[in-house]
Amino acid sequence: MNLEIEKGSFVFLIGSSGMGKSSILRLMYRERTPTDGEVHVDGIRVDTMKRSKIPYLRRNVGVVFQDFKLLADKTVWENVAFALRVTGASSKDVMRQVPRCLELVGLSHKSRMFPHELAGGEQQRTAIARALVNNPKILLCDEPTGNLDPATTSEIMELLLRINLKGTTIVVATHNQGVVDRMRRRVVRIENGRIVSDEERGYYFLGLGQTSVLSG
Amino acid sequence: MKSGVTISLDWGRLQFFLGEVFKNFARSKGMQITAIATVAVTMFMLGSFLYTRETLSKLSSGMLHRIEISVYLADRVDDKEGRAISEVIGADPRVAAVTYIPKAEGLRQLQDRLRGQIDTSLLTSNPLPNAIRVRVKNPDAVPAVAQSIKKMRDVGDVEYDQATVAKVLRLTETLYKLGLIMIVVLIVAAAVIISNTIRLTVFARRREIAIMQLVGATNSYIRAPFMAEGFIAGTLGALVAIAILAVVQAELIPKVMVTLSFIPFSTARVDELRLMLELLAAGAIVGVIGAWVSVSRYLRV
Repeated sequence: MNLEIEKGSFVFLIGSSGMGKSSILRLMYRERTPTDGEVHVDGIRVDTMKRSKIPYLRRNVGVVFQDFKLLADKTVWENVAFALRVTGASSKDVMRQVPRCLELVGLSHKSRMFPHELAGGEQQRTAIARALVNNPKILLCDEPTGNLDPATTSEIMELLLRINLKGTTIVVATHNQGVVDRMRRRVVRIENGRIVSDEERGYYFLGLGQTSVLSG
Repeated sequence: MKSGVTISLDWGRLQFFLGEVFKNFARSKGMQITAIATVAVTMFMLGSFLYTRETLSKLSSGMLHRIEISVYLADRVDDKEGRAISEVIGADPRVAAVTYIPKAEGLRQLQDRLRGQIDTSLLTSNPLPNAIRVRVKNPDAVPAVAQSIKKMRDVGDVEYDQATVAKVLRLTETLYKLGLIMIVVLIVAAAVIISNTIRLTVFARRREIAIMQLVGATNSYIRAPFMAEGFIAGTLGALVAIAILAVVQAELIPKVMVTLSFIPFSTARVDELRLMLELLAAGAIVGVIGAWVSVSRYLRV
């Protein structure tokens, strides 16, 4: 299969669980390597990249998960700052970047709270802030709204849209029909590890939109 | 993508690092105490072994250095010629000291030594030859020096305590080899145990490690706090071992000295400061290596 994602675009990867959506994301941040073929991210060949280079790739690729993956014993602020700290950033950078990201996701007022004191949507916002704190060019979201109620889901999607408008490429793997249908963005449908459709303003179900590319 | 490493001193960054180290240390207190105890036990064993080894090797070299070559000159040699020969021997670079013993002096020494056992006053003439006592700088050279003296003119018998030299040399060599094996075995054992202990603390924080990897922390960055923990545990363990050793030495050694009074312990002063530093270094190294090994398992490298 052949998948190209434009810089600054917003793409949905859809398909049932276990069909390969997450695997495609994992290829992009080098959590996995392909058995065959090539993966390029931001002009750099990722699949053959040296292990020692992987951390630098990950600073350019933010990742958000369904289960948030926050550190329970750290506050919102610390969780976000942590991602910056581990890259060896200076305190000056931390003081500048963390408030910026918390403001972007609308959590400035809860920066001293711990994850268990927050609602699901707020936890996901924290995770998004953490993913963005290193100013990545790409934000990968693996079922970002899988644990959230519909109202919170649309809030998170709006947030992702705003981030996209600032120039960050966003790839969302989801099987949430409502999200996909409301947004009307590029939809790549994956079944059994193959791309079965690729639509430029697509819906969740095939045939409702205009099919632009078909490849296998 | 930035791959260069910029190093700048930053109090906030240091504070963050130290904060992480101490928080983790406090959180896994039980584990750390186990690690410290393990290091303390092995370092105590290592320390007592090194102490014993140094005592024995000092004793044996003390014995070796007191070994003398006795040179008995031919009967016809008079005092003047004897002193000349002794000067020639003394000029040998391997020789530390020579003492010329005229036959009269030799007899007096013999009488002293045999006092109360044999009545030497019955002797009508002095049966002893003039003699020279030779002390050699390096105990290993005793046989060679004895050989070359034997070849000199006017020299009769040359004697030294061959069996003692050989035995002591063998003892020293065995101690040295055994020492190397013991040191390696103990250090490896300590590293394995401490690495297993630290592995449990790493396991408790595998989630944190996974997240660190996800957001782009380098492996060395992830390892650093664990290695700092290993360093602290190893050093503390060595300190405990040193404390125990100091108590044992203060309590035990005087008693041993009284019991085994025939052993000249006073010649075998162990360099305690050096031993202490060696144990501290060993403990720290063991801790750091142990931590490194156990974190590496979780970094998939």
